[in-house]
Amino acid sequence: MSAAVQTERLRKEFPMGWFRGRVLALEGLDMEVQRGEVFGLLGPNGSGKSTAMKMILGLLRPTSGRAEVCGFRAGTIAARRQIGFLPENPYFPNFLTGMELVRYYGRLSGMGGSVLEKRIQELMELVRLGGEAGKRPLRTYSKGMLQRAGLAGAMVGDPEILLLDEPTAGVDPAGSREIRDLILELRGRGKTVIFSSHLLEQVEDVADRVIILHRGQKLREGRLEDLLTRKKEWEVSVQGLKEADRKELRGWLEKHGAEVVREGAPRERLEDYFLRSLPEEKRR
Amino acid sequence: MMGSLRRISAVASNTFLEAVRQKVFAVLLVFGLVLIYGANYFTEFSFQEQFKFLKDLGYAAISLTGLLVGLLGASQLIPGEIERRTILTALCRPLHRWEFIVGKYLGLAVLLGVMVGVMALAVGGVLGWKEAQLVAREGSDPAVAAAIQKEARDPRLLQAVLLVGVKLAVVAAVAVFFSTVATSTTFVIAMTLMVYLIGHLQSVAREQWLESGEVVQAGAKLFLAAVAFLVPDFNLYNLIDEIIAGNEVVWRSTLEVVGYSVVYITVLLTAASVVFEGRDI
Repeated sequence: MSAAVQTERLRKEFPMGWFRGRVLALEGLDMEVQRGEVFGLLGPNGSGKSTAMKMILGLLRPTSGRAEVCGFRAGTIAARRQIGFLPENPYFPNFLTGMELVRYYGRLSGMGGSVLEKRIQELMELVRLGGEAGKRPLRTYSKGMLQRAGLAGAMVGDPEILLLDEPTAGVDPAGSREIRDLILELRGRGKTVIFSSHLLEQVEDVADRVIILHRGQKLREGRLEDLLTRKKEWEVSVQGLKEADRKELRGWLEKHGAEVVREGAPRERLEDYFLRSLPEEKRR
Repeated sequence: MMGSLRRISAVASNTFLEAVRQKVFAVLLVFGLVLIYGANYFTEFSFQEQFKFLKDLGYAAISLTGLLVGLLGASQLIPGEIERRTILTALCRPLHRWEFIVGKYLGLAVLLGVMVGVMALAVGGVLGWKEAQLVAREGSDPAVAAAIQKEARDPRLLQAVLLVGVKLAVVAAVAVFFSTVATSTTFVIAMTLMVYLIGHLQSVAREQWLESGEVVQAGAKLFLAAVAFLVPDFNLYNLIDEIIAGNEVVWRSTLEVVGYSVVYITVLLTAASVVFEGRDI
């Protein structure tokens, strides 16, 4: 079976205007994303993440190289049928309601009738915009609600791959956690998720594999386990150890030739603490 | 084929809905009220002159309002979507770019059609109101009453409505073509207005030049032919003035102009689709 997304020496230059030359946005990107993977595209602003995504979607034509989606050339109708896209900012027609947005995107994907209406209901429930919330105009939505509505719109055609460009940018921690949970749920359903972010903690929580881009070039690529695990170290977290036992344990470790790299009470992540501090209904 | 129609209708209905929710139709209401209020004046003329004035005023208002809505609406169709970046979430769907262009254009064309229709009804209403006033005042003589009714209920006005509609549809297609090339709304409006002016002047200029007796060089002939081919001849729509003036215009001539307009719209939308196909978004 072909990879979900594959790029070969994908390159994009943008003309700067008459007599002003060209600027290089992406230089020879080789990338392969397997089906069912959650794949993170990391990099600072201007590193080429969005450019790569737009070429996978066929919104930009590559200067050279090629991109394929489930074996179809990127940009073709067959390729776009496999992808749902959530842009970095909520670029949605704000005169529509949440449900109308999903209906519009469904119709653009060639859907209609009772099949589409059923799908809209399912998705609005999934992104927790069912009931009255889905009937409100998008201009009254918070950023988190807009992103969730956009996600429902991206999923309406039941695509194999979801391409999410900075899905949690500008969203509060609770909203961000919801989107993270949705990504995990999508992975559970066998979908491939490719997302870009510069919020590295969130990437760490959900991605199987990442690629790091900088100024249009690939710096690193690999499984998070391989990239982040300090293979020479071993970590144990224990409770109820008295000071005398700690001293004895340190002695035992030194005796066996091990070096204590760090020691102390572990800290909770601020995001977890923040979410735990909120009342139950606000966490959801 | 069904999928294509569904996608085009989705884009068209969304374009129409956007215009409706942005209160374009409020303009129509203002127009109707101004027209009805204006009809109270100029009562000192003969009834023929009063009807002529009302028809002139009504059709000029339809043309001007339609031209403004068509020009501003069409110039916003693509650059507006690019500026708001809503185009990203539409064109990443499995739809062809030509479907998007045609859908956008049809949405605007339906809007223009409804606008022209509603405004024409307003004109018809004012003519009917005037007819009732005049018959009550001067219609004691059955011959005069019949003459008033003939002026007020002129079926040729339908031809004028149709011609105003297709003329606006051609202007909108010109603007849609330029909007696929440009990123600036100002550029689109300026270019469309230029084509509109050239379209009005080209046949007059051509006749003057050819009838001046000067020897026309081959290059100049080629230039004239190119302008005639590329720019729609808006003088053809002067049939509207003939109808308003009360002159006979046969349906065949009207339908020929409609056919000419459909050909131009098709060519312009095809060119727009070809240009837009290769454009980076």
